Amino acid sequence: MIIGDGHSVLFYLVILAFIAGALVPLAFRNSRKASVASFAPGAAGSVLTIALAASIAVSGTALEMPLPFAAAATEIEFQFYIDGMSAFFMLIIGLVTLAVSIYSIGYSSEYHEKRSIRALGFLFNLFVLSMILVVASDNVFSFLVFWEAMSLASFFLVIYEHESEGSIRAGMTYIVMTHLGTAFILGSFLAMYFQTGSLSFDSFRSPGSPMPAYIRDIVFVLALVGFGTKAGLVPMHVWLPQAHPSAPSNVSALMSAVMIKTAIYGLARVTLDFAAPSSPDSAWWGMLMVVAGSASALIGVLYAAIEKDIKRALAFSSIENIGIVILGLGLSVVFLSFGLQALAAVALLASMYHSLNHAAFKSLLFMGAGSVLFGTHTKNMEQLGGLAKKMPWTALLFLIGAIAISGLPPLNGFASEWLTMQALLSSYQVPNVALQVSISFASIAFALTAGIALATFVRMFGATFLSRPRSKEAEHAKEVPKTMIAGMSVAAGLCIVFGILPFAATGMIASSFGLDESVASFNVLTVPYSVSGIESISSMSMPAVAVMMGAAGAAIAGFVLASGSRKTARKIYSTWDCGFGELNERMEYTASSLSQPIRTVFRALYKPRMTISKDRYSDSNPYMKKSMRVESETKDVFEDRLYAPAVKTAVGFFDRVRRIQTGKVNAYLLYVMIALALLLLLARVMP
Amino acid sequence: MADVATVAIGVVQAAGIVALAPFLTGVMRKVKARTQKRVGASVLQPYYDLAKLLKKDEVVSDQSSWVFRAAPWVMMVATVTAALFVPALLPLSPFGAVGDVLVVLGLFGLARFFTMLAGLDVASAFGGLGTSREMMMSALAEPAMFMTIFVVSLTLGGTNLSSLVGAAAQSAGFVAVPSMLFALIAFFIVILAETGKVPFDNPATHLELTMIHEAMVLEYSGKSLALVQWSQSIKQLILLALLVNLFFPAGMPPSLDAGWQVAAGAGAFVAKVALVAALVAFVETRVAKWRLFRVPDLLVMAIASSMIGVIFYYL
Repeated sequence: MIIGDGHSVLFYLVILAFIAGALVPLAFRNSRKASVASFAPGAAGSVLTIALAASIAVSGTALEMPLPFAAAATEIEFQFYIDGMSAFFMLIIGLVTLAVSIYSIGYSSEYHEKRSIRALGFLFNLFVLSMILVVASDNVFSFLVFWEAMSLASFFLVIYEHESEGSIRAGMTYIVMTHLGTAFILGSFLAMYFQTGSLSFDSFRSPGSPMPAYIRDIVFVLALVGFGTKAGLVPMHVWLPQAHPSAPSNVSALMSAVMIKTAIYGLARVTLDFAAPSSPDSAWWGMLMVVAGSASALIGVLYAAIEKDIKRALAFSSIENIGIVILGLGLSVVFLSFGLQALAAVALLASMYHSLNHAAFKSLLFMGAGSVLFGTHTKNMEQLGGLAKKMPWTALLFLIGAIAISGLPPLNGFASEWLTMQALLSSYQVPNVALQVSISFASIAFALTAGIALATFVRMFGATFLSRPRSKEAEHAKEVPKTMIAGMSVAAGLCIVFGILPFAATGMIASSFGLDESVASFNVLTVPYSVSGIESISSMSMPAVAVMMGAAGAAIAGFVLASGSRKTARKIYSTWDCGFGELNERMEYTASSLSQPIRTVFRALYKPRMTISKDRYSDSNPYMKKSMRVESETKDVFEDRLYAPAVKTAVGFFDRVRRIQTGKVNAYLLYVMIALALLLLLARVMP
Repeated sequence: MADVATVAIGVVQAAGIVALAPFLTGVMRKVKARTQKRVGASVLQPYYDLAKLLKKDEVVSDQSSWVFRAAPWVMMVATVTAALFVPALLPLSPFGAVGDVLVVLGLFGLARFFTMLAGLDVASAFGGLGTSREMMMSALAEPAMFMTIFVVSLTLGGTNLSSLVGAAAQSAGFVAVPSMLFALIAFFIVILAETGKVPFDNPATHLELTMIHEAMVLEYSGKSLALVQWSQSIKQLILLALLVNLFFPAGMPPSLDAGWQVAAGAGAFVAKVALVAALVAFVETRVAKWRLFRVPDLLVMAIASSMIGVIFYYL
């Protein structure tokens, strides 16, 4: 059913709000006014987006609308169609943008009088608007136009701090990689266009004649590479850990939490809607996604575990989480190929739920990292520490995000990882031993990822917020403005709500994707198990777990209070120093030393290199040293082994091509002559 | 869902686990002492320790934040909540419908998360050392644990603890299928790692070369230390209960209708746990502490073993 009016008015209001947010600040010279003028409409627009998306997702009705000025009957027009799937992703965009917009009002004061807030506000709103319109698009033309607008807006935001060489480099890598990805996406759409003769998504969805299998395979592979590039799927991920941390932190939050989800949207649209798998022949699609997803998850978290830059570590962790999302999507495709509808629903629910959860905690963590940067002007974990006392609210909110992303109860990360584990366990129903065993290997990767993620976030929180400050900046840090705390609290609230009331999320996902609601009946997640002779139901209820934890806490507190026969005191004294006296911050573990055992265990991947240079008093005596210097570094295997050779080859090729550019006019005349002769010949040969 | 009687059974069973856990620790220490030709402290010593600690004043580091003070409570809450889900004396997980074996693992993860943070919070080199080593160990022990559960779930069906234990009870005595045997090897290794036993960790020393868990909780005293030690004992009992109930279901009552069978089953459970605990303590005496970077080999072996179990199941 298609309903108009109410929803379409809301849709126009959303567009208007973000356009206002982009344009109004241009009128203000004063930074403070400009930031309010851009982020307040942004927040209003995201509230409207949430209302629109939630209403469509819950009612299960779609909104279809060409823009009024569109020329009729051409392929080149803007066309929008918001069904459940689009609405769900729109909801993610809306929720995160709401939190980030509120946060940005405070955060942009970092740039007051130093940089153009007007440009920041303009690009920020444009970026969000184009993401919303990407997921609302209903034909290739509008999809690609807004996809490109999204990429360009985010590119300019990545190079917002353009004086630093790093961010220009990151921006260049980003724009090259994202356009390579767009080329593959375009290829995928063109393959469908040649089959259906139309550029509208409607015709892809129900082509006149069914697409032949090989075309569908081509469509899938091109879409996986194209969208995988945007999502940061290994090995197309190299741009992500450079670009996301270079942008201002509020934009990093949007990029990591939301932008990469538009790629998940594209992938879900192609694999579940346009070219839905229906026969075991397409099981390899799902398997490819499972393999790529679990590899991304593992490799992403392994690099996150050793990274010193807090924002880069978070970017690597986005690769990890996107891997988990694609793993779930892949499992869903495998199950669908074998006609296991109920299991496909579980896997899809896991995947989409994790997308939503990742949006909540990753935006929270990036905002937290931004607050640390705001308070201390460094994002190097080696120079942080002790911030829990200086910035208590930021620390508490960051801790909530860290617990959620580590997949621990009772927060939201646990619920979606529980579903993912159930989907992995359910692979026993796939009637193919090779697939069963491969999926169990993916389960090892997943479990290893979960284990290392826990360590990663212990290290990130511990090195940043606990123990002694390791630099002057960290020592003199102050709590951030209230708007920033408010923005983070919104995201933290989402982590808690989607954790202890999963129905808020799962019910929404079930209705937007048309899933069987039995998987997510009221707040109990259930997955049945049945093989010959054994029937059982695995179930879990997050609210009940939370209540039981509360009850256990009350009982313990009661017992401890009752057991003490006298009131005990608490004495504050210095940490035990083995009688050495004067512990200082140079003696505590740093971020690098914390991850040293992990670095040693996984040295095959990191290829750590350590150089120790010693300055001796005399060559004859090796024991008397003036000074010692230790340098250790780890390599990004993908950049070194895959991209560096590829770039070198390409540059070498173009160097050779350049030789024909002599700069002499007569040489160019000769080229023109030759081209003309060839064309004439061609025209003669092929009439 | 659960009616009043089931809830009551669940609470009583969990209270039993919480109350008996220090006793198990005492027994294991006694066995270890005897195998080392020492007399050893009384099996009730852990209770005396707890009673004393609960009454003592606390010393808290001036470097620490609220995370340090909150951590023992989180550890205790997480492990006690886990105890509510675990079948112990009865072959029944009273709250099985709302939490499964993965929830138990998740709660242990939560406890570990805060233990590691507490180690970092006091700004001593010891705490960081413990946390750093624990990061490596847990990163490998968790997948080993999960893969073991993977095999058990495939063989016995699902992740609901009641039905897992029920399925184990249906089979005669020891669940002797190849997949379960390999899972058992893995699970035993994981238990040694998770409870800080000798090839991995030596909780009896305060030597920086050997300690992992003790290093993280070195700064605790008074009530907080009591909570830390108690939660560690509870975790140990829960893991042994899982091992016994999933892999050695002998003597388990087939149904809960006959009173004497239930009583006999509870007795059998206590006997089996005591046996396994004695075995663990014996292993601790016979094996030397492994060098830190050999420990991952053992954990990887556990992962490999459960993977072999998975393959055996599918073939």
